[in-house]
Amino acid sequence: MTSPSPLPSPSDTGLFNQVLSALDIALLEWEMNSGVLKLQGCAPMWWHEFPVASGAAILDLGHWSPFLRDFLTYVQQVWKDEPERTIASGPWTEPDQPNGTMTLEARALPLGPRKLVLIERLGSDFENMRSIVQRARERMLVEDSTAKSFRHTETRLIGQLEASERTKDDALALLQQLGLAAMVLDERGQVTFATDRTLEMLGLAARETLGRPWDQVFSFRKEDRLLMQHLLEGSTPTCSGGPFCLEGACTRWIELEIHRDVRHPTRHILVLNDRTEIHALRQALNEQASFHDLVGKSSAMLRVYQLVRDVAQVDTTVLIEGETGTGKELIARAIHSSSSRKNKPFIAANCAGLTDSILTSQLFGHKRGAFTGAIQDQQGLFEAAEGGTLFLDEIGDIPPQVQTALLRVLQEKEITRLGEAKPRAVNVRVLAATHHNLSEDVLRGSFRADLLYRIRIARVQLPPLRERREDIPLLAQSILGEICAATGKRVERLHPDTLRLLMSHSWPGNVRELKSAVEFAVISCKRNEVCPEDLPPEITAASVVPSSSVFIPLSNRDEKTRLLVALSEAKGNRTEAAKRLGISRATLYRRLVELDSQPH
Amino acid sequence: MMQKKVCMLGGFAVGKTSLVRRFVTNMFSEHYQTTIGVTVEKKTVTVDHQDMMLMLWDLYGEDEFQHVRESYLRGSSGYILVLDGMRKATLDTAHMLQQTVVRTVGPLPFVAIINKSDLQSEWEIDQTIIEQLREQGWPVFFGSAKLGRGVEELFGHLATLLMDPSLQPRAHS
Repeated sequence: MTSPSPLPSPSDTGLFNQVLSALDIALLEWEMNSGVLKLQGCAPMWWHEFPVASGAAILDLGHWSPFLRDFLTYVQQVWKDEPERTIASGPWTEPDQPNGTMTLEARALPLGPRKLVLIERLGSDFENMRSIVQRARERMLVEDSTAKSFRHTETRLIGQLEASERTKDDALALLQQLGLAAMVLDERGQVTFATDRTLEMLGLAARETLGRPWDQVFSFRKEDRLLMQHLLEGSTPTCSGGPFCLEGACTRWIELEIHRDVRHPTRHILVLNDRTEIHALRQALNEQASFHDLVGKSSAMLRVYQLVRDVAQVDTTVLIEGETGTGKELIARAIHSSSSRKNKPFIAANCAGLTDSILTSQLFGHKRGAFTGAIQDQQGLFEAAEGGTLFLDEIGDIPPQVQTALLRVLQEKEITRLGEAKPRAVNVRVLAATHHNLSEDVLRGSFRADLLYRIRIARVQLPPLRERREDIPLLAQSILGEICAATGKRVERLHPDTLRLLMSHSWPGNVRELKSAVEFAVISCKRNEVCPEDLPPEITAASVVPSSSVFIPLSNRDEKTRLLVALSEAKGNRTEAAKRLGISRATLYRRLVELDSQPH
Repeated sequence: MMQKKVCMLGGFAVGKTSLVRRFVTNMFSEHYQTTIGVTVEKKTVTVDHQDMMLMLWDLYGEDEFQHVRESYLRGSSGYILVLDGMRKATLDTAHMLQQTVVRTVGPLPFVAIINKSDLQSEWEIDQTIIEQLREQGWPVFFGSAKLGRGVEELFGHLATLLMDPSLQPRAHS
């Protein structure tokens, strides 16, 4: 155990004081019994500025510094167990003059029985340390604030993102709910989004659509694809096109609205409108207004169209009746085109004005040498029409011998070429037409009854044009379009007065006469509109006849009167009377029989 | 007159010195100056017609640079835990300091104050946390040293607790 260190001897006092002064330390001796602290040696400069401790002793420690009192209480407790331990107080602050503070640190130092307390005023080193800690903490506060700001920003952005996602989900749900067909194309023209309805319309799954170029997704025809490409390359913000045909197992017709994405002009938003139903309805409407090459939407013609559809479904012989120019051959062609034979030949033969042998040869063919001039074997029209349809126009004009041969063909389904003995099997559907009243011909004995019954299994009666006047505007416009397309002349429409004249004419030559009149008018026309003066003179001259009477449907009594008046004016000449009435002689005769009005 | 040693405890920059200064001198400075060491302030309060001198030990803030010396806590009659409402981390520091006090000098009367209520809209310590603290038995005050809001109530409440004999500290080794 070392002996207690003595305080400096008087000879050392000078040096001792210099050391204390240099270290800025107040050295106090602590009388533990009384609690008094007595200053030893010279006091440092700060000691004198210290308001309470200006004397050489500190008598009331608690009043002087509560901190130091607590410290020394603590030191006493520690020294009970560790009497040799030097204990530091750590820094504390005391008031300074004037209104300032100073930071002190005490050190309790046991020197044997003597207890010393060294109080040091912390100077520049301490201030440097404080400054460093201050800066570090300020830095931490700034970083904390920055981190918080980042967290706030992150939270806000996440919130915005979630809100955006919700809005997107809502919009998508709305789109799906509305059944809107829409898709988005990116700058490369690839599909980046498509609603369920779109996929349904395209008949594709999402994986077959998303990420693929639009032209692989839309099963367009070439011309539609080119048009769509043109629309996409256009500079307008919004455009529309169609209808486009989407080919596939189930053909669809669509119209497209193409919008540039306002945020990304290289992207496109496509809205698809399914027009399949409208297209079908429009087609049905067109079909009502025309049927194959037949034009007309009058109730009479609609009945004819339906009849054509019906007879097309069966393979029987059909008799087509109608005045000249009513379009009997068109009906025959329509039946053929609607039938299962449509991909086989359709052959039309006019039987009028041909001799027995020529007609026989034409229909059934001949063997070389069968008659003078028969220099080689020749197949007839029946053979030529094998598998298809043979249309025999003016069948009422064929000679009796040919009627017999024809009857055999229809019954046996075989023909025998002229000059041959061996029959040949044929598979031909016969459609016959006549402007005759074959019943009358049978009565007169000029037409075989059995043949009539054989060819009249089904019959189509074509109304004359005067009995379907409401079709005249449609027919005239259609004929006008055809003629203009053929001649290159630009005549767009018919003047209302022209139409009125056309409507009031009796049209004994029916549609053929109408066509001729319109063609005449187009040639005469100098404007883009056909005027009354462009029409043939026989039509304009007939305009003196009050047109109103034309439109009044006649009762049987009216018609009978009219027919009788016409006969009377024609002095019993039926041909003249028929001409005056604008009907055929046969029709006049038939109508008179039907109305039981045999002329006197 | 009785004297009571009260320690101001909390993380750095939570406003311990500002609360003491507002309470003792009714002054406030926007300038943040970190406390190194200890400053002891005194203020006399009257509780139930009895004067009491509060010896307010404004200790340096607890952080990675400085840890509270347990010797400073000895002889305390109570303490105030100061939290910064804008920094949730100061709640953890307060929890840790409270455990240090209990471990060093035993359970003492204390109050907690969430400072900077003038910036309550930016607080990270929300009502749920505050409810949890109260369920743990913490008397929680809101205050602003800057505005002087809740300061008198804070010290007054602690002084009342210090007068309650049932809450006085027992001898602690």
